[in-house]
Amino acid sequence: MATAKARTTSAEVQGLSGQLPEAVLSRVSDKLGIPAGRLSRMVEVLEQVVQEKGDTDSIVEKYKADKSALIQILLEIQRERRWLPKEVLTSVCEKLGVPLSRAYRIATFYKAFSLVPQGRHLVTVCMGTACHIRGSPRLLDKVVKVVNVNPGETSADQKFTLETVNCLGCCALGPVIVVDGEYHSNPSSNELEGLVAACD
Amino acid sequence: MAKLRSPADLEKKREQIVSKRDPSKPCITICSGTGCHALGSDKLHEAIVTEISKNGLRRKVDVRRTGCHGFCERGPVVVIFPDETCYLGMKPADASEVISKTFVEKQLVERLLYKDGSGASVALEGEIPFYKHQTRTVFGNNRLIDPKSIDDYLAVGGYSALAKALLQMSPEQVLEQVKRANLRGRGGGGFPAGVKWETTRNAPGDTKYVIVNADEGDPGAFMDRSLLEGNPHVVLEGLIIGAYAIGSHEGFVYVRQEYPLAVSNLTAALGQARDYGLLGKNILGSGFDFDVTIHRGAGAFVSGESSALMTAIEGMVGEPRPKYVRTAVSGIWERPSNLNNVETWANVPLIINRGADWFTGVGTAGSKGTKIFALVGKVNNTGLVEVPMGMSLRDIIYKIGGGIRSGRRFKAVQTGGPSGGCLPESLLDLHVDFDELTGAGSMMGSGGMIVMDEDTCMVDIARYFTNFLADESCGKCIPCRAGIEQMLEVLERICAGKGEKGDIDLLEEISDVVRDASLCALGQTAPNPVMSTIRYFRDEYVAHIEQKRCPARVCKALVSYFIDPVKCSACGICLRNCPADAISGGKNLVHIIDQQKCIKCNTCFEICPTRFSAVLRISGEPVPAAPPLGTEVARKKGKQE
Repeated sequence: MATAKARTTSAEVQGLSGQLPEAVLSRVSDKLGIPAGRLSRMVEVLEQVVQEKGDTDSIVEKYKADKSALIQILLEIQRERRWLPKEVLTSVCEKLGVPLSRAYRIATFYKAFSLVPQGRHLVTVCMGTACHIRGSPRLLDKVVKVVNVNPGETSADQKFTLETVNCLGCCALGPVIVVDGEYHSNPSSNELEGLVAACD
Repeated sequence: MAKLRSPADLEKKREQIVSKRDPSKPCITICSGTGCHALGSDKLHEAIVTEISKNGLRRKVDVRRTGCHGFCERGPVVVIFPDETCYLGMKPADASEVISKTFVEKQLVERLLYKDGSGASVALEGEIPFYKHQTRTVFGNNRLIDPKSIDDYLAVGGYSALAKALLQMSPEQVLEQVKRANLRGRGGGGFPAGVKWETTRNAPGDTKYVIVNADEGDPGAFMDRSLLEGNPHVVLEGLIIGAYAIGSHEGFVYVRQEYPLAVSNLTAALGQARDYGLLGKNILGSGFDFDVTIHRGAGAFVSGESSALMTAIEGMVGEPRPKYVRTAVSGIWERPSNLNNVETWANVPLIINRGADWFTGVGTAGSKGTKIFALVGKVNNTGLVEVPMGMSLRDIIYKIGGGIRSGRRFKAVQTGGPSGGCLPESLLDLHVDFDELTGAGSMMGSGGMIVMDEDTCMVDIARYFTNFLADESCGKCIPCRAGIEQMLEVLERICAGKGEKGDIDLLEEISDVVRDASLCALGQTAPNPVMSTIRYFRDEYVAHIEQKRCPARVCKALVSYFIDPVKCSACGICLRNCPADAISGGKNLVHIIDQQKCIKCNTCFEICPTRFSAVLRISGEPVPAAPPLGTEVARKKGKQE
């Protein structure tokens, strides 16, 4: 039910932003004392928020609002958005009837989750044992230099997030780096620069 | 697809599938495990399909994408049936040559074959030394089947053990077979699976759960991933048989989200099994109901521990609890829950089909059957190997692994992941099984086997594992949370050249406390990497602490780089690549490293051409004085004379 309702609202807002005559927009902006550009941006954001809420609702519905699926739900949201915004966590917890603290506990306990927005491109360097003895610390140093981000951080322009993991199970190929889901075995400095340059 | 309602239906279906397949018809199999995928097996598959069409062979040749063959390092692995010719490291550009040579000229493509030590080619997969010395009973079908096709699994006899168990055996008889086989848990502890099953079966309560532990968190181990990815049905079949013996109707597979291909192949397998009536109500007309849910782990090493894993399935943070009452009796939602690892479940159909006597015919007195190891690190042939329990470390590393890379010397082998230990050269003849490894201060773990050569610093390895464990400690109990942190501090100090007398004793003392007082097995075994390296490589600790020397020249703080003025030929490669601009020099001038600026990144050492090998790593002794700036290189001078 909740999903249907959210979708309706979203459709209504979409109707608004698409069709709002400029005259109306300027009258509203006059009345509220808000510049027209800012107002239309507000409508846009509103639309986006409602849309996102609808998406979250559908994920919760998919798991039949089952409390024990909290981790699975958060994993899906993380995958879609690349982070877990506070509003989303609040709304998921309300729906499942679990305290918000549980969601935060999960989000901070597991490596897969992020409470800050992640970059558009995810660079992961494997620090597993096999990769370690074949030189992953040196590979990581090189990667840090090339993407100019420290491990666990996201670049200011939101382009790259650099992560380390403890084993990807590709030990035979180590040291391994994954760029947006593509695995690469022990790239040289030049190859590394190529990989990074290929990201828009 | 009509559901299979009886074992007769299953056999009929199997005959149907097999009769449509001609064993003499050529089939090109391309490994599609994560390793080969990373090495480009997707594009290779496309190229092969295109070439086959081009040559008008579409009706004459089958192409199949299979599970992991295990020889990951030399991937993508391609095997052409029925001859079983094996091509390694094949690139899309090779497809045209391989197809025309194989099917038109009936010849081998020599350059893609495995070359043995003497340079002779080995054409057949089974003859390659890496495979020849293995016994692939659990892992063997991976290379034959497309993991996304249940028909492929049925074609190799899949689900026959399930039919036998459900219709010809009572749950007690199934349990008895597994107990008699003495199948020990492949995930770490080596606890007898049959005994665990019996505990859950006899525990009070109507609702019971069976669970597959695919939270393979040990860095350096990936056999569970390859099994689940490459042959999900064998794990599923084992699970259903176990559920029948235990009296459970609901199962879970807990799989790490770091293994996306395993999740997707397993999801597909569950769907197919449901369509065929091998999951759900009244399986094969036996009256037994069972179904499975997948639960993805979100990245926490401790979640592989049984009580932690079960808490995670309940939707809460996966932390362990004290196990005064075992999870076999009180697990998920306080109901009896039987947890076994992927490889353990995959052994079950074999035991049911071939019997406990066959199973106990392989292995040692206390450890039966085979074990899959992830043979990785500084060894020539890396990948997954399955051997009978009791094979010596030496045979695994030298016969199968082909010895140490680049002619270096063996130093240690690390088994059992972060809970295991490092074994030295003197123990190479140890016969690998659960008890021998534990006796030597290491453990089986899930089967990671990481080979280290003389360029590996054992103190650094101890620091590495301790750092991993400090990071992964859930923090619930103090000995593990604070103890490991303290150990890490001491190890970091030693690696930084600030080790003090008494540090080794201190490490041993903290280790004792962590081992004795931690809540779960992960904490209790956490000191193993430190204890075993102190036990077998004490001299390296002493060198770090007393001489401020890293014998393997790994610990940055204890290593300096120096360019040998006699060997330097002023090629300029190191100068151009130094990221810290620490190297000065010019045309015909000896290059010099500014020790103040050097960040010890090892780039110059790696990049200096081997014909010069002019960059030296020095540890434990003062750096020789550099020649004055502007000194001409020796080689050039020689030429001029």
